[in-house]
Amino acid sequence: MPKRPGDGAVTAGTATVGRLVLRTFLWLPLCFAGWYFAAPVLGRFVGDVAAMLVDLIRSNLVSAIEWQDLHLEFVTNLRVHPEPDRVGVLVVEVNPLLYTYGLPLFVALMLAARAKAWMILAGAALLLPFQAWGVAFDLLVQLGVRSGAAVSAQAGLAGWRSELIGLGYQLGSLVFPALIPVALWVAFNRAGAAFHAPWPAHKSGLSGVVRRGEAR
Amino acid sequence: MARFFLTFVVILVGLLAAELTPPVQDAVVVPWTNALVRISAGLLTLADSHVAAFGKILQSTANGFAISIEAGCNGVEAAIILAAAMLAFPASWKQRAAGIAAGLVAIQALNVVRVISLFYLGQWNLRAFEWAHLYLWQALIMLDVLVVWLLWMRTLAPDPRMRTVDAEAAR
Repeated sequence: MPKRPGDGAVTAGTATVGRLVLRTFLWLPLCFAGWYFAAPVLGRFVGDVAAMLVDLIRSNLVSAIEWQDLHLEFVTNLRVHPEPDRVGVLVVEVNPLLYTYGLPLFVALMLAARAKAWMILAGAALLLPFQAWGVAFDLLVQLGVRSGAAVSAQAGLAGWRSELIGLGYQLGSLVFPALIPVALWVAFNRAGAAFHAPWPAHKSGLSGVVRRGEAR
Repeated sequence: MARFFLTFVVILVGLLAAELTPPVQDAVVVPWTNALVRISAGLLTLADSHVAAFGKILQSTANGFAISIEAGCNGVEAAIILAAAMLAFPASWKQRAAGIAAGLVAIQALNVVRVISLFYLGQWNLRAFEWAHLYLWQALIMLDVLVVWLLWMRTLAPDPRMRTVDAEAAR
């Protein structure tokens, strides 16, 4: 039976994906361990960027950030009355690991694809705003949605703002943490070129042809 | 590639917004979540008689431990991401439909494994459960989406431009 152009590439491409998955699985435990041990540094950094983002949305809401047992504690300027004769400031706790777990996935995928070091560093830097988004909207959803009408009104986050905060939170918690690392990996590796797929981009298409010729 | 990403984002945001609406929640998300619990319970009862399913809750009747399948754990967001990636990529509607159907099966099959593994992991160690639930399985499900998408791209007919140059290279 005559061999059609690209037949060999299908097998080669599938095997390449298989090797990528295998190498990713080998790198993942190491990357997760590194991420967990780097969490105090990374978490604080993400917290600082998140506070800047919150300040853009609602200024003077956060007065300080503290770090406690792998959790960020945002000290707000909001006053609460736990008892009639007592006044306190509202402190909101956020777990930054929920929004940064994509970093070890990204690094493992990049190492599995044998990417250059600068690409890994650039990708990690590009992940930061999305991680900060997740932390910022976790804080905002706690203040604007979950803490009751009095707190959301005091924070200036009531009404239509709480709807937008809800949407931002959904994106920051359900979509960004896992999707952005993979999207960055695709962008850096031009998935079509690396895995012989019929990617529509011209440059990656040419690269795919060269590899196909080699596979024959 | 920029066009692909732009199309992908537009479709993704549209599908995610639709997912959050009450009609889609009532017609698709909640029934699917309940079905996921029943499927997991059905598989578990093959080897473990101490399992009960109530709505979106899976419980061990031996020790009372229970897990609740919430948004983000039912595989719907992962399925939406995969569908958006396939719809944004240049392919025929038949190829897209086949890819999305196969992808949904692949994602939900792994999601059943996730639910079952977390059900037992939680009974063994809550700290391990939290780690696997919040970080590890999230990453693995997304890796599954990426692999399915890459394999689906392999099944598409090569770009005609590539075939032309390919033939020239073979000469």
